Amino acid sequence: MDFFRPMRSTGRALIPLLALLVPIGALADGPYLSATASATWQDNVTNAPSGDGTRGAFDLDSQVEASWIRSLDFSTLLTASLSACAEVCTSYSGLDNLAVGPQFTLRHKVGVGPLAPNLYVGVAGLGVGFNDPERSKIEGDVVFGFSQRVSDSLQVLVDGKVGSYDARDIVFCGNYASLVGTVNWDMDETWRLKVIGGWRVGDSVANYTAEQSAFGWVPVDADAFNLPGAWHYVRTFNEPFVAWRVSDRTWSYGAAISPALGRHTSLTLQFEHFTSVGLDRYDNNVVSLSVAHHF
Amino acid sequence: MPSPNRFVAVALVAASALAVHAAGTVRVVTKDPAGSPVPDAVAYVQALDSAVEVHPPAEPVAITQHDQEFDPYVTPVVVGTRVVFPNRDNVQHHVYSVSPAKKFEIPLYIGESTATIVFDHPGPVTLGCNIHDWMVAYVFVLSTPYFAKTGADGTADIAGLPPGRYRLEVWHPRLAGKVGREITILESGDTTQVVSVTLRPDRRIRRAPDAGSADYK
Repeated sequence: MDFFRPMRSTGRALIPLLALLVPIGALADGPYLSATASATWQDNVTNAPSGDGTRGAFDLDSQVEASWIRSLDFSTLLTASLSACAEVCTSYSGLDNLAVGPQFTLRHKVGVGPLAPNLYVGVAGLGVGFNDPERSKIEGDVVFGFSQRVSDSLQVLVDGKVGSYDARDIVFCGNYASLVGTVNWDMDETWRLKVIGGWRVGDSVANYTAEQSAFGWVPVDADAFNLPGAWHYVRTFNEPFVAWRVSDRTWSYGAAISPALGRHTSLTLQFEHFTSVGLDRYDNNVVSLSVAHHF
Repeated sequence: MPSPNRFVAVALVAASALAVHAAGTVRVVTKDPAGSPVPDAVAYVQALDSAVEVHPPAEPVAITQHDQEFDPYVTPVVVGTRVVFPNRDNVQHHVYSVSPAKKFEIPLYIGESTATIVFDHPGPVTLGCNIHDWMVAYVFVLSTPYFAKTGADGTADIAGLPPGRYRLEVWHPRLAGKVGREITILESGDTTQVVSVTLRPDRRIRRAPDAGSADYK
């Protein structure tokens, strides 16, 4: 991933982004508030290779977001938003975290009417403070995407992201690029069925069970030493693990069913499977139940 | 599995000329297959024996935007009627129509719009907001002064009809086709008309948000 050199200056980029919220907020409509609460089960929260080391975890998170919207012309909107998220992992308190970040997005509709395609591009920043302080990080992203209604009931979306994050420990730093494709089928005004497919390339963290040796904590699986990235012992999972920064490619697929609970509220039950392949292979299954509300 | 885009329902429209109302008043009663009233249907009659002039109202008709919805959902008007679109939301709207009977767009605005749109051709006009895709409403432009819209009880009274032969028609945004038949208005006496119509399912764009998404629409 030479073309994404780690940006240790990501944090400095957050400051002007946050400052931009003030004039845009003053000139734009809003704020529009929304909130999301989720309960998520992940069967391989350690992101360990198949076999030894896979641990599941259940987490609860809630997010609030305030958005300001400014029309630049008939079909172009500038959206500025500030979001805050709190996440609690019931099994591993080291993964508990608070996240805050701004995002600015330019969205252009090519034409008039609900079937006209939408394009967007933007920048986002995120600061995340983990209970396990080594994982705390600052992230900067370029986001872009496309959406198109094929009919009143079918919508296709593609969301892309290129990002870099700097953590307090080098193992948790990295860069990535991702694309997610979604097809929404609104079966009627209440029920939405969603199909998701994704691709990601870049850095991630894999965890391997560890044992004490004359050289300190080392992975039980000696083949792990073939992994090229940085690694060290972590206490996050209540038992000996070493965390490894790895480069891999991830393919994902999933589906969701989402009933509307009203004009402003929806419930979503979603399943996604992730397969990451580098020198090792890591499989994750994620099931979440979320409720979203726009005030 | 039924088609996602349409299913067939049958509604009964009972039209009766009732002497208990003023002579020349047609009461139209709309019901869905379950017997529930159908609001927002436009009932109108065209005179078959003579031409009738239409005179648009002096004041413009208002279709407001409130809570990011149009109000009313269906607005029947005669040809030549001026319509204004006051925006009572705290967010801008971009009102447009691409319907053959009237194509227009009002650039993004908030508050009272300075634009007044004249609906000068008969036919249905679908309104939308280019920002909020779920917003939809209809203007039905008529070339007859004799019309009424069904209320929540599914009834509409078309009053002031001189005796003679008329063609009664009913329009609704979900109608698959025109529904109508000839009726005769007498000086006195009752008559009942029952018409079967086919309705499409209510295919409005979902407004409820996605989890994790706080986008504008």
